[in-house]
Amino acid sequence: MSDTSFEPSIVAFVCNWCTYTGADLAGTSRITMAPNVRIIRLPCTGRIDTLFIIKAFERGADGVIVSGCHPADCHYTAGNYHARRRFAIFRELMDFVGIDPLRVTFSWVSASEGGKWADVVNTATERVRKFGPFQMYPKPAEYVGE
Amino acid sequence: MQELRDLAKKLFQEKRVDAILGYEIDRRGGVRPAFATQIEDCDRLVFDHRCVHNLASYVSPRRTHVADLGRLGIVVKACDARAIAGLIRENQIKREDIVLIGMRCGGVVRDPAISEPLDPANVAQRCIGCEQREPTLYDHLVGAPKPAPAGERRRNARLSEIESMSPEERLALWKELLGRCTRCHACRQVCPMCFCERCVADKTRPAWIETSPHMRGNFAWHLTRALHLAGRCVDCGECERACPAQIPLGLLNRKAANIVAARYGYTVTDDPAKPAPIGAYRLDDEQEFIA
Amino acid sequence: MNKRRMLNEKNLDAFVQDLINAGTRVISPIRRKEQGRETATYAAVQNPEEILLAGPQPALPLKDVVFPPTETLFNWKQVKSSIRIKENPEGFKKTVVIGARPCDAAAMEIVDRVMGWDYRDELWFGRRQATTVLAVACSQCDDACFCTAVGLSPTNARGADCFLTPGEGGFEVETLTSKGEELLESHHGRFTQAKDPAKTQPAELENKVRANLSLQPEKIQQWLERHFDDPLWKQLALRCHGCGACAFICPTCHCFDIVDEPEGIDCGRRRRNWDACQPALFTMHGSGHNPRKDQTARFRQRIMHKFNIYPARFGEILCTGCGRCVRVCAAGMDLVSILGEISYMAEEAGSTS
Repeated sequence: MSDTSFEPSIVAFVCNWCTYTGADLAGTSRITMAPNVRIIRLPCTGRIDTLFIIKAFERGADGVIVSGCHPADCHYTAGNYHARRRFAIFRELMDFVGIDPLRVTFSWVSASEGGKWADVVNTATERVRKFGPFQMYPKPAEYVGE
Repeated sequence: MQELRDLAKKLFQEKRVDAILGYEIDRRGGVRPAFATQIEDCDRLVFDHRCVHNLASYVSPRRTHVADLGRLGIVVKACDARAIAGLIRENQIKREDIVLIGMRCGGVVRDPAISEPLDPANVAQRCIGCEQREPTLYDHLVGAPKPAPAGERRRNARLSEIESMSPEERLALWKELLGRCTRCHACRQVCPMCFCERCVADKTRPAWIETSPHMRGNFAWHLTRALHLAGRCVDCGECERACPAQIPLGLLNRKAANIVAARYGYTVTDDPAKPAPIGAYRLDDEQEFIA
Repeated sequence: MNKRRMLNEKNLDAFVQDLINAGTRVISPIRRKEQGRETATYAAVQNPEEILLAGPQPALPLKDVVFPPTETLFNWKQVKSSIRIKENPEGFKKTVVIGARPCDAAAMEIVDRVMGWDYRDELWFGRRQATTVLAVACSQCDDACFCTAVGLSPTNARGADCFLTPGEGGFEVETLTSKGEELLESHHGRFTQAKDPAKTQPAELENKVRANLSLQPEKIQQWLERHFDDPLWKQLALRCHGCGACAFICPTCHCFDIVDEPEGIDCGRRRRNWDACQPALFTMHGSGHNPRKDQTARFRQRIMHKFNIYPARFGEILCTGCGRCVRVCAAGMDLVSILGEISYMAEEAGSTS
């Protein structure tokens, strides 16, 4: 069910040293990207708790991007290795309870890969647009009776 | 049984323990945990196929009223010894501070109130396919050798069944199962590996996991707990047994364990020297899901 | 009052269908298969055939009909510089319970005391008023039941608007309140007059329950009052995990937590959720001090509240002897043997003083 008028809300948790800088580069290079992504900057993917991902969906996100330094390039040496294991297990668990793991996009984007960041953003946006709104939790506005 | 009682008395006589944690017969003809704090109490100790409980739950330093008893001697099956190994591995207790009475086990029933003999219909699911008839982590080993228990691997079948459902069917199933949860946290309280003094679910600034028993809160809680137990859960089944809403929590924990086994070649062991998979990493870990 | 009618099986089904068609929520024990075992549970009925009136005690009590595990106290939304509040947005659904066990019906009435004590809990009483309870006499019991020890029995009608007693081909229905009478009158076509005099129920079941536990509640209360520091508490609490399953599953336990949940930048709701005195967090102070610092203190509190404090304040035992705590406890705490032990010590103390 693809609704071309649906604009997905995507939250991106990115590491400061690689992906955030890469995203900056995409911006300063004036690469055109989908405008649906809100970026949240963290020191390292190792800091990204799976609860952040869950919370994003609870608060109305339709999709999530998690991105950081390539293996061997982590600013804190091993943060992304820990994250890699954590996310690997988490996405299979998400799948097991019926939440589509493809709504969460994982990537390694370095500080010089502005083009790659734009690709990740555009791909994720189109993918989530096809999936439609994340409807497991009612949107906040629906809770509050008027 | 007499071998166990004699050993227990010897441990008291030699002042090697201040208390012994084992099992006793209860009023209803089933079995329940027993604390022997003096030598006369040892005659109450039993061990048979009804000894389902994982006594390692009591060993966490968080339980100050048990820790106050002093040095503990504890009756452990192979599966319980894995929990003790986990506590040692994660620096919650020291190996030399505890005396382990290992029991040879031929399987237990799924409910300690069942007084019929062990049979394929009443055996606990986790016992089927268990290859450890006795712990490798022990100070003393007691009991006659017993054969492996027979039974159908219904849980594995159920896991496969869920995995082959469509995502919508899976979501509907878990909405129904987790919808029953009232957030009593009994699953956490009885779990030997849930020993955090401040559980993430109890934090309020900010409240990452909402405490209300609605869908958001329940999914966040159960997914997080399964993740925090990945590679640590010893499959003792206490969480499932304790749940007042009878939610089959073991399915989530088993799934996490299967993921860890498949990806990282690790299964829980009662060897505390073997490092856990979470908190560790390999440079060449699979990353097929990362763009 | 106390009018007696007869209801046969076919008319029972029709009565239930009438209620469902009229949009009333009907709650009854229904069959559930749990991990290969047959159990019963109270649930909203879609089809009268699901109802199981003579089965095992439903695993969970009726508590959530009048006191849901989570309920919204109010919604808020910020509109410019003011805040709009909508109270009780979920409302009170008209409900008829058919097949409440005596222990579950009585429990609601016992908790009414505290809910109307220093402050009238409008949500509790709103749901109570919207709910009509048709209790049914028990046909089964087990070694965990002890309703007779706390002043009830398998045929006690306390807390019920109408009481169903199994008879030939159906039930005898006795009306006990005007609410019950109103309900039956509005469906009078389904009921017939009771012709024979009321049968006295055989005492067999009651005797079985009595054999589980016998005690004198006042003696228990006195012993509890005087033995706050007894070494018994430490001994009992050793095997307690503090999991709170007993409190969550108890028909008379009613503690709750209040939380504010923001649901956006400018909106959210305040909720009331079930809570229990058994985990440490229940009495944790903001300073980090916890007056009930270990399980010994917390387990003692549970017994004290139910068998001493509540009786002292309201003249009611906060327990209906349903036995669920005994069945659900993963550590085998067994309230029946604990009360038996206290009863014995109370006798000893009485004979030496």
